Amino acid sequence: MKNNKRYLPEGKYVMMGNVAMAEGALAAGLSFFGGYPITPSTEVIEHLSKRLLEVGGSCMQMEDELGSINAVIGASLVGAKAMTATSGPGLSLMVETISMAANLEIPFVLCDVQRIGPGSHGPVTAPHHNDLGLIRFAGHGEFQVIALAPMNCQELFDLTIEAFNFAETYRCPVFILSDAYLGHLHEPIYIPPKEEIITRVINRELPQDYTKKFSYKDDNIGGYIIPKPPIIGTDYFPLMTLHLPHNYEGLPGVSALLFMEILIEKIKTNIDKISITDEYKLDDVDIVIIAYGLPVRACYHAVDIARKEGIKVGIFRLVTVWPFPDEKVKKVVKNVRAIIVPELNYTGFIAEQVERVTKLETPIIKIPKVGVLHHPDDILKVIREVSK
Amino acid sequence: MSGMGPIYPKEKPDHPYVQFSTGGYLFGNYNSLFCAGCGYGIIGHIFTRVFEDEKIEPKLFPLIIGIGCYTQLVTLVHHTSQKFFALHGRAPAVATGMKMANPKLKPIIFSGDGDCFGIGGNHFIHMCRRNLDCVIFIFNNSIYGMTGGQAAPTTLYGAESTTTPYKMFENRIDGVNLALAAGATYIARTTVAHPRTLMKYFRKALKHKGTSVIEVITPCVTYFGRKNLDRLGVEYLDIIGEKMDNTGRMLDWIKRNSVRINQAKFMTDEELFNNYIIGEFRYEPDKPEYSEEYAKIQKIAMEEK
Repeated sequence: MKNNKRYLPEGKYVMMGNVAMAEGALAAGLSFFGGYPITPSTEVIEHLSKRLLEVGGSCMQMEDELGSINAVIGASLVGAKAMTATSGPGLSLMVETISMAANLEIPFVLCDVQRIGPGSHGPVTAPHHNDLGLIRFAGHGEFQVIALAPMNCQELFDLTIEAFNFAETYRCPVFILSDAYLGHLHEPIYIPPKEEIITRVINRELPQDYTKKFSYKDDNIGGYIIPKPPIIGTDYFPLMTLHLPHNYEGLPGVSALLFMEILIEKIKTNIDKISITDEYKLDDVDIVIIAYGLPVRACYHAVDIARKEGIKVGIFRLVTVWPFPDEKVKKVVKNVRAIIVPELNYTGFIAEQVERVTKLETPIIKIPKVGVLHHPDDILKVIREVSK
Repeated sequence: MSGMGPIYPKEKPDHPYVQFSTGGYLFGNYNSLFCAGCGYGIIGHIFTRVFEDEKIEPKLFPLIIGIGCYTQLVTLVHHTSQKFFALHGRAPAVATGMKMANPKLKPIIFSGDGDCFGIGGNHFIHMCRRNLDCVIFIFNNSIYGMTGGQAAPTTLYGAESTTTPYKMFENRIDGVNLALAAGATYIARTTVAHPRTLMKYFRKALKHKGTSVIEVITPCVTYFGRKNLDRLGVEYLDIIGEKMDNTGRMLDWIKRNSVRINQAKFMTDEELFNNYIIGEFRYEPDKPEYSEEYAKIQKIAMEEK
């Protein structure tokens, strides 16, 4: 039984961030959601409990976060597009399974609506971009993940579709880094017509060649080949799914070093396709702001004012936060006097990466904030100081 | 295939079902990876036998294996079965996801006492509560065998293990009572000393619509038997026991400590102390099954304007 409820009619809507993300997941073909209520991500499971059933999918409220991520893995194994949504404490519980899924290359999407941590009490509805530190090396073992950071409700819709496509294509854990303010923000969004959405979505399909089920290094072309995800209940499933270095058939017989290389390089060699970035007034800059997520919105305002004052400043925005686009950043920071990195955390996870890429040749000014957003004045003040 | 141990016996054993095992059929390796005296060989054989005799469609019965010694059963089970190795204790959650995403499947879960009552207790309880259509085997050897003989939630009172070198003084968990309280609809317990009963229960569970919990008491000679006397828990009777350092004594002890359910009704708690009650505890085929109920709700939601 099929109906047309999966896609909302084309038009403008006012939506909460979490709801926009849920709708984006539905548009991407979501058919299984496993979750556990946690502020500030609860609206995702609340919305999908109604909407996912309308399209014939399953929305399970599991017994805990461990249960929800494992149910998502199980659903993904039988060919469903699956996701879960959580916040920092829940993510901490999920990391073991994330490692396992990375090893077996099980695609899934995890929406992390970040809140203040560490700890499970306190201001749970305040934003804190603290989970990037966990996500980039989530779990035990070595592997690469993909993390996307939207900055408004429209992007929560669009990038969720993109996240599912990345998960299907690269077969790695894909994260959407939302936060408490963005998740609860109500904004107008435009939902494109059904026909346009369908062209953007990559569906789960069985491949022509059933012999190779896991990523492998092809020495002839020198690249890394990522086959389609295997599906339980079809002939396209490996004999064993051992959580150890395995070859393309899922059997042991690959050196651990080569296996780690495949897991990491299959993402890194495709960084041009994965890395989404945005530039704002970057043509002739002395000072560049590198930012992601909600702080970017304050930066736009600050840059506009600074430009009027004659300060040459622009924004380099990371939409794909991880993997970090080394080459693009190198190009951007080539002739600048200073780099400003406003981040919603104290450590500065992206600032660390910029330091690594620039080899500390350019001064980097961090603007840390936790629990409150950057005011454009905060950024403007730093821009003026630097430009003196 | 590496990691499958020595190829022994060299020639194909004269056994009607050995040819269907994964290791034997695909790699010509008819060995088992288990210690001498382990009960998992019997379980692997029974699984393969039922799988072959009942002509089970392997694509509809995915096998989800938890973490423990029984993970090595993968070489003994039927070669056509689709196997997925779940994380330690998370197999019931994976089964829930599989069943809900594709209700045609009926997952079969291999789990152990530490896996199911220790680390994964929560998932087990909630799978039983939902009455999800699947079969879960819990292999109870009352010890953590793979890590070298630590105390499990099911370790008997007074037993010695590497983490309870003096004696085990914690209360043990009764998996059947747990499943009864949680609401599974087919619950049975048997031992590897009663293989035909186990086969009967497995066949029944395959046809049952709902959560089928089969707890199998199995011996661990290497880490449980060698350290413990076969008069465990009845020291007050002043009988000097013997070390259960071989299969015979261990199976003998299991048989002696197993009480049929109808017999147990007339026994006192003291008499039943450290004993296993075996038999069928509950069979309710008419109780609503989760995925079917879910489909009804889905239908309502899909038709709603």
